[in-house]
Amino acid sequence: MSILSASLGLTRYRIIEDVPKDLLQQIPEKLNKFCFVDIDATADERSFGWSNIDDMLDMNWTQSPPEKAEYFTFGLRLDTRRIPPAVLKKHYTIALNKELEHNKEQGKNFVSRDRKRELKEQVTLRLRARTLPIPAMFDIIWNPASNKIYLTTTNSKVRALFEDYFTLTFDLNLEPLTPFFMAMDVLGEDAAPKLENLDPTIFV
Amino acid sequence: MDLSLVERENVLLGQDFLTWLWFKTDSENILFALEDKRTFALQMEQRVSVQGGEGEGVETATVSSPRGELTEAKTGLRTGKKVNKAQLLFTMDQDDWLVQVNAADFGLSGLKTPKIATKDDEGDDPDAKFLEKMFLMERCLEMLDIVFAQFLKIRMTKEWIEETAKIKLWING
Repeated sequence: MSILSASLGLTRYRIIEDVPKDLLQQIPEKLNKFCFVDIDATADERSFGWSNIDDMLDMNWTQSPPEKAEYFTFGLRLDTRRIPPAVLKKHYTIALNKELEHNKEQGKNFVSRDRKRELKEQVTLRLRARTLPIPAMFDIIWNPASNKIYLTTTNSKVRALFEDYFTLTFDLNLEPLTPFFMAMDVLGEDAAPKLENLDPTIFV
Repeated sequence: MDLSLVERENVLLGQDFLTWLWFKTDSENILFALEDKRTFALQMEQRVSVQGGEGEGVETATVSSPRGELTEAKTGLRTGKKVNKAQLLFTMDQDDWLVQVNAADFGLSGLKTPKIATKDDEGDDPDAKFLEKMFLMERCLEMLDIVFAQFLKIRMTKEWIEETAKIKLWING
């Protein structure tokens, strides 16, 4: 659980819409529907989805439920296959040389552009099937009482992925608690025009 | 809402806030109060980053000093830069929280709460560690929010003109 680590990265959100009570009860069910699907046995480049915060291998919440006291907790698991560029280059060169040899036998001294692209795709796919996906887990803690959601990373790509997948799962939209939205939260919607027209302070 | 506008306001508010906070914590020893009237202190720590300019001309200077003298970052303020990242140390009673705040989006990194018990005792609630950590983490966020709300109160009123003059004196002092 990355939330327990001694040094933590954190992004805060609030849910824009009112969350209906019955939706809260459906959280476990929705998590299950959009859970992580393993790609160890395939050649997929990446896969992502929800899993148990206590155990990233538990996609059915058999170890523990997502509810912890007043919070709902779950993990965003993201598995990615990465082929090191040097490995790809090497195997592409081997495939290209072989093709060139074959072409020469037919009296052709080159490999066409389209064929080159095709070769690269084939090599990538073959290597991907032999590469193990690298797993990553990011914790999500949802506090319905305060309408806050915490995500244990500040990585912009993961943040974007989380925001989209959350909306897809729960049909709710998230607003990151950046200075502007925080100010709106504190001062109320009426302050919006004033906030939008602030001039930067010149201190010197 | 126009997203580029939001982005502009984020940077503006975030940088004004952290710059103000540095002035506030450097020039006087102030205590902030939580809703339940408990007080906490706040200090700028060891590491601060200042930024100025626009577009391709953005310049950033990051200074870290174990003794907390951030003279070179302050020189940056004199050339019109503002704080874009700062490490804050909150102290309440015997407890410390350390966190690095990014001005542009309030992303928090290196958040360190007071230590929690790492050993599981028999019969403990399996979620005990998690709940203790959440309590400590939310306390840190609560403190940060209180300080930001206090800043906003000044920033959005005429008081800000006076405060700006004070900050100017401090920067040049």
